[in-house]
Amino acid sequence: MSGKKDIRMIDIIERIGKTSINATRSFRDTLSFAFTIILKMFSKNSYSSATRMVLINQIYFTSVQILPLFIGISIILGSLLIGIVFQIIKTLGLAEYLGRILMGLVVTELSPFVTVLLIALRSSSAINAEIAVMKVNKELNTLDKFNIDVIDYLFLPRVINGVISVVLLSALFSILTLTSGLLFSKLMFGMSLDTYSNVLLNSANFYDIVISLVKCCTFGFFITLIPIRFGLHATNDLTSIPIAVLNGMVDVFIAIVLIEVLSLILSFI
Amino acid sequence: MDKELKDFAAKNKQNLGLVSLDVPLISNLNVWVNIALIKQYHQNLPDDKAELLVLQYLRVYGLEHIANKQTSALTNKERFFAMLIRAAMVMDSIIVIDRPFKIIPDVPDDRFIYNALNIIYDSFKECHIFDYTWFKDRYRMIYVEKG
Repeated sequence: MSGKKDIRMIDIIERIGKTSINATRSFRDTLSFAFTIILKMFSKNSYSSATRMVLINQIYFTSVQILPLFIGISIILGSLLIGIVFQIIKTLGLAEYLGRILMGLVVTELSPFVTVLLIALRSSSAINAEIAVMKVNKELNTLDKFNIDVIDYLFLPRVINGVISVVLLSALFSILTLTSGLLFSKLMFGMSLDTYSNVLLNSANFYDIVISLVKCCTFGFFITLIPIRFGLHATNDLTSIPIAVLNGMVDVFIAIVLIEVLSLILSFI
Repeated sequence: MDKELKDFAAKNKQNLGLVSLDVPLISNLNVWVNIALIKQYHQNLPDDKAELLVLQYLRVYGLEHIANKQTSALTNKERFFAMLIRAAMVMDSIIVIDRPFKIIPDVPDDRFIYNALNIIYDSFKECHIFDYTWFKDRYRMIYVEKG
């Protein structure tokens, strides 16, 4: 009896060990791939007319095509959240902290998080599937045979696009939400445009903006890098595409949560 | 044959312009971007000039209309021409056609390939065709070196 229990215990420990080793290896590989991409990003030789064309197309697909949906969601979600926040501020009598709460909540936390979720849902999954399909169709082999570096031509523009798109769309979300805050501030606190702008400007903290910017860049970098890496895991079988997308998207969400937690810890230090 | 092709490709990697089903056109790019990509990447040719160059090549085959088509919409012959022009975009190109009758199965003999190559003969340095020995009889115009 005790022998069987021991064996089961050893099995469980082995499984935990294997999972931990795999997770650590995956994390190490992601960081190593990230390092390669960063090195390429700062190399002049990585940029050609073809790379620029891909970058422009990617920015169009990620940041421009999504605009109507993004603006709609930003207005609805932003107004809703601002409404709730203003209600709480009024109930608790925290009107003097209005600007600080808005800047801290909307600019530093809410905007990057909502933006990254929307882009991850739409573009990360598309990138993951695209790279996996290219792998299955031997299109990556095509690039190799014509001496085209896949990192320069395929990966780099997508990662740069991720960074640019998250930063720009996050800024747009902040602007739209803070603008809807103007309406609520007038309705609930009778604030004028001048007073509202002054409250916001006085509460704007350079450190908050830097953290927000760094967070957006990190989000944008990893939500495009991870799908690319997992897309490359596809084999020659069509059935490997959904598996690659599924694994990639799970890791994207883990990365989003990790970055969010890390940025929160950083902002409290 | 595969080994011979691999060895040849490895020896001429820098100038290789491969026409093969194993080196397909990229499915999320249209025809002209697929072809222009080589010059844009290796010679940093601006996209407008690259597009004009590709259109010139397509025009000599009477295929200007396929420039903006997606690769999935191409016929076998159109796909072959697109792959051939892409191969010719490589600088000092050594074009290698791998099992051409697999790409254009509806063509009876090598006259079609010969004519296609003849039209752009000044755009490549050499051309080599690799095929199975049992297709030897289908080659009448092109010099057959082995089997």
